[in-house]
Amino acid sequence: MTISRRDVLLGAAATAALMPLAARAQTSEVVIGLTYPMSGANAQIGVDAQRAYETAADIINKNYDFDLPLAKGEGLPGLGGAKIRLVYADHQGDPQKGRAEAERLITQEKVCAIIGTYQSAVAVTVSQTCERYQIPFISADNSSPSLHRRGLKYYFRPSPHDEMFSAAMFDFLDALKKKGNKVETLALFHEDTIFGTDSANTQLKLAADRGYKVVADIKYRNNSPSLSAEVQQLKAANADVLMPSSYTTDGILLVKTMAELGYKPKAILAQAAGFSEKALYDAVGDKLEGVITRGSFSLDLAAKRPMVGKINDMFKEKSGKDLNDNTSREFMALIVMADAINRAKSTDGEKIRDALAATDTPGEQTIMPWKRVKFDDMGQNNDADPVLLQYVGGKFVTVSPAQAAVAEAIWPMK
Amino acid sequence: MLTVETIVQSLASGLLMGLLYGLIAVGLALIFGLMDVTNFAHGEFLMIAMYLSFFLFAFFAIDPLLSAPLVAAALFVFGAVVYLLLVRFAMRAKANAGMVQIFTTFGLAIVMRGLAQYFFTPDYRSIPQSWLGGKTVSIGGIFLPEPQLVGALVSIAAFAGLYLFIHRTDFGRALEATREDPGAVALVGIDKNRVFAFGWGLGAALVGLAGAIMAVFFYIYPDVGASFALIAYVTVALGGFGSVFGAFAGGIIVGLVEAVTALVLPPSLKSVGIYAVYLLVVFIRPRGLFGSM
Amino acid sequence: MDKNFAARRRRDLIIAAVLAAIAALTPLFVKDVVVQNVLILTLMYAGLSQSWNILSGYCGQISLGHALYFGLGAYTTELLFTKFGVLPWFGMLAGGTVSALIAMGLGYPFFRLRGHYFVIATIVIAEIGLLLFHNWEWAGAAMGITIPIRGDSWLKFQFARSKVPYFYFALVLCCIAWLVTWWLEDSKWGFWWRAVKDNPDAAESLGVDVFNSKMGAAAVSAFLVAVGGSFYAQFVSYIDPESVMGFQFSLLMALPAVLGGIGTLWGPVLGAAILIPLTEITRFKFGGSGSGVDLIIYGTLIVLISLALPRGLVSLFSRPKKTGATR
Repeated sequence: MTISRRDVLLGAAATAALMPLAARAQTSEVVIGLTYPMSGANAQIGVDAQRAYETAADIINKNYDFDLPLAKGEGLPGLGGAKIRLVYADHQGDPQKGRAEAERLITQEKVCAIIGTYQSAVAVTVSQTCERYQIPFISADNSSPSLHRRGLKYYFRPSPHDEMFSAAMFDFLDALKKKGNKVETLALFHEDTIFGTDSANTQLKLAADRGYKVVADIKYRNNSPSLSAEVQQLKAANADVLMPSSYTTDGILLVKTMAELGYKPKAILAQAAGFSEKALYDAVGDKLEGVITRGSFSLDLAAKRPMVGKINDMFKEKSGKDLNDNTSREFMALIVMADAINRAKSTDGEKIRDALAATDTPGEQTIMPWKRVKFDDMGQNNDADPVLLQYVGGKFVTVSPAQAAVAEAIWPMK
Repeated sequence: MLTVETIVQSLASGLLMGLLYGLIAVGLALIFGLMDVTNFAHGEFLMIAMYLSFFLFAFFAIDPLLSAPLVAAALFVFGAVVYLLLVRFAMRAKANAGMVQIFTTFGLAIVMRGLAQYFFTPDYRSIPQSWLGGKTVSIGGIFLPEPQLVGALVSIAAFAGLYLFIHRTDFGRALEATREDPGAVALVGIDKNRVFAFGWGLGAALVGLAGAIMAVFFYIYPDVGASFALIAYVTVALGGFGSVFGAFAGGIIVGLVEAVTALVLPPSLKSVGIYAVYLLVVFIRPRGLFGSM
Repeated sequence: MDKNFAARRRRDLIIAAVLAAIAALTPLFVKDVVVQNVLILTLMYAGLSQSWNILSGYCGQISLGHALYFGLGAYTTELLFTKFGVLPWFGMLAGGTVSALIAMGLGYPFFRLRGHYFVIATIVIAEIGLLLFHNWEWAGAAMGITIPIRGDSWLKFQFARSKVPYFYFALVLCCIAWLVTWWLEDSKWGFWWRAVKDNPDAAESLGVDVFNSKMGAAAVSAFLVAVGGSFYAQFVSYIDPESVMGFQFSLLMALPAVLGGIGTLWGPVLGAAILIPLTEITRFKFGGSGSGVDLIIYGTLIVLISLALPRGLVSLFSRPKKTGATR
């Protein structure tokens, strides 16, 4: 096939007529950068994230009959059907490397947007860099509330932050109490990096505000070789609810150690992380019947929205896992970003930013139990309602909030 | 919340964990004692052993306890090969021999982690069901988890066996002689390389044994060795480099100190207790508790 | 031999001046921020490694705990800046002084330790520092410190987008560390250290003097590394305990010197010039795959260089000489 000069001219004229000036140079692909830990202790998160993003890109680039932005038709219609291309960068959990990778993605890979980063510490520097280069950044899976409060113009977070998550957890406890359950004392068990510290600080504050007694607040070193001493203190405190904020490794060790030291908590209400990872349930699922974890995602939605199940199947085919708290947020982050680029009809950072700020996607057009995606002036989506999931019979069942629940919570856990 | 029960339980858990630390560390002590080489890939040897246990379980349903001898044997071969292919040459370095050994084994550690990630993926693995997994013995309200209990017994047996081996067998004596005077043994016809390769094999086999037991109750992923490597070095140095008995004592001390520190300080600082005790010991005894020379 | 020595020192100085001049001109040609970033890191690690080399190479006290001083420099500067509004330039000096004092305080008991006992003691003390900062609420604990950026300013040593000022700072740091080393080589201390290395028994007769010189080396080494830490904090504009006091920094200070040639004047610079770009490039090229290939390449190179060139890369440059090359 040969393309004559006339064809090119005609095409160019047509494109110029349809598109704003900035996008005229636009070719057939839109490059988006993703920065994750791909080696080291958290490599598994980065590798799973790749699968989630591939799934989302697949849906955008090919024709699928889902009620999801950009699913129908191929590529981005706003940019003449341009396809999404993803570029991954490994930040190894280091803020400096995160920044270097963000700069490389922007200046060399010419990405028009960045999504990341899992670790909140890295999100700090990556989002700063994006701000400097006026490239929009979506914080897909960072939950530290301090991130959006810095007032960055190019920072967006479609999913909930820790305060929203923890508030949902305490709403749930309040409701239980109202129904006459004994829920008075709490034991916090959290790791010592930003995630655990932030989570525990929020929970301590909420507990004080709402009249719960914190009988143990145990901060442990992440990836400790042993948690016996910590578990003993939990056992001695024997709170009504154990609230762990732990990553997968420590979560597995915690549950094993509890069983070994004969401690059976009355109830566990977890701040996701490890407690939404398949690896943890593969390892110790038999000891976790009835555990409740907060989450962003619920497979129960598939009953109401069949596309959720289908997308989950697509992801599962690539990764061998169901979508979870992290991967679902990552998936949505790319959809939200691509949708904004499409509406901006441009790969110009500022235009995409404005389009992101104008986002108003109804919850039904997501795979999440959210009301909608709409950012406040800090770039935070406050309509992203978290859910609480209970692990029953080898599956997660949504038990809160009322509008999303499909079952009554079993309390205390068995 | 400091009841007698929590204290006794802490000490019991600490003791069990300490014996396991000793078992993890003894291979390091043995190799160092034999030829003054510190294996900075020791944690990765542990990681490989844990993966071996896991795969033997996942593919052939062999319980980690049964496969432990297999894992130890495989690690023996692995250790000897590492010596013959790598460490042997590092020891021949004409300058800065100490640094060359440190960084050769350190580079090896990085390669092993990379290979583990490449071949096994970075997923977290664990053995959900095994003979010992999750079982526990309760004596008067004190809980002794069976995996750690068996681990402690294996550790004691391994140390006893090692003692007998070094002092009662010909090869053990050759090992000891090589350690004392590598030059002289060559004169009486002992092949130094053979002895060293055997020493590396034995050291690796011991950490293999530890890995097999750890696989029962710990998670497994490419970086798992990092959690134990520093503890192993401190254990060996605390006991005194080169002293097998020192590693045994060092392990117990580290386990107990860790447990006690977690009682008095916030648990996130419990390693500080271990490190402080190490510093205190070497300030008083610069060669560790039982170090020779 | 003395004459040779003096001639060589003059030659070294000239080479260094030429290299520094060439380096100073690179920002005129290299506009790519990614490359600039790699150059800054290379210069910084060259300077850090050169500082590390003073204590660990020349004095023979192998430290794998210099991350402590790096972190102390970073934290002192940023705590003074964010809590008390002290300008980073003063914070830098304060951080250096704090680190030097701590290094001397630690040197007193530590220098009695030999070999691996010393190495492990240094690792352990840095870990203690890391854990304490991790739990120190006032210093931000795990949340770290975000350095507020209010536009470009030399006074506050912060630049939003330009990397050139950081480049020159890193270059100056590297040059100072090199000059200090160059000067020490010919000092009384340098002479003692060589004497002790060549003949451990000589250490006995020099006893107290050698001990004091080691304390001096520890202080100088810690001071310079702390200044590097302050620089890094300003450069990244965010610090948390893991990202400035983690064990990886101790290694990254030792590795260039070891690969380039430990205890040599040019080793750290040469090592950093090879190692740091290599680390960055392997991560750029292979890191995104998540397959661990970057680790395999990186580790293999460390093994190969250690085995093939026990004297470090500098040995490639030195022709075998008849007169005693004591370097």
